[in-house]
Amino acid sequence: MIPVHFLLEVSAVLFCAGIYGVLTRRNVIGILISIELILNAANLNLVLFDRYWGSTDGLGQIFALFIVAIAAAGSVVGLVLVIAIYRNGKSIFTDKFNLLKW
Amino acid sequence: MVEFAIYSIGIGACVFAILSVAVRDIFHSAVWLSLTLLCVSGLYFSLNAPFLGVIQVLVYIGGIITLFIFAIKLTARIGDKTIAQTNNQVLISLLASVVFFVFLLSAILRHPWGRLATVKELPLKELGQSLLTNYMLPFEFLSLILLAVMVGAIVIGKVKK
Repeated sequence: MIPVHFLLEVSAVLFCAGIYGVLTRRNVIGILISIELILNAANLNLVLFDRYWGSTDGLGQIFALFIVAIAAAGSVVGLVLVIAIYRNGKSIFTDKFNLLKW
Repeated sequence: MVEFAIYSIGIGACVFAILSVAVRDIFHSAVWLSLTLLCVSGLYFSLNAPFLGVIQVLVYIGGIITLFIFAIKLTARIGDKTIAQTNNQVLISLLASVVFFVFLLSAILRHPWGRLATVKELPLKELGQSLLTNYMLPFEFLSLILLAVMVGAIVIGKVKK
């Protein structure tokens, strides 16, 4: 027996923790870590509802698989950007990025 | 028994997620994130989606966390104790996320979800078949995205002469 509402609450906690991290971290890597938390909350919900409604072709799981792949791709690009910016400006704090502002 | 395992793994996931956004040191944050991902993978196993649980451990903990730790160590010099790691909107962000959580909670509790009896596992063969028949187009687009990411990462990360 799987308690559905409990898993939904876990997912909500992960999502809100991720939002808090995105809003407060100064370090870009910290923001990327929080984004991974948000994506995991979404994945947990997708898998749970895939099981809850009993899909026959596993659409929810396939969606979650796509999200995992795209999250990996996104964090790779994000970290490469972080390293490139660090190499130029010796800082990875968001309030120090004013390269594109004028 | 399974229910007890689900409750403890879920509470563990919540605690580790909150720790991972609350700790000061970014390296510790990555370690807590890996524990959170491990707990979420355990929840996938308990939901009878073992393929996704394995993928979660392989891709997230094996790949993404390793990348995070590399990036943290490559940019380590700015992480010393005197520099603030949070900006000056901690209180209002805390308020916003708590309010949003209460909103989500009220929405969840309004519906009688009931309990899910143990669902039968979807065989990996069927998952792969629907990935290569019904969802062929997004699958191929995904490989295109991965190619673009590979090229982009090399181009951006290259040291310019």
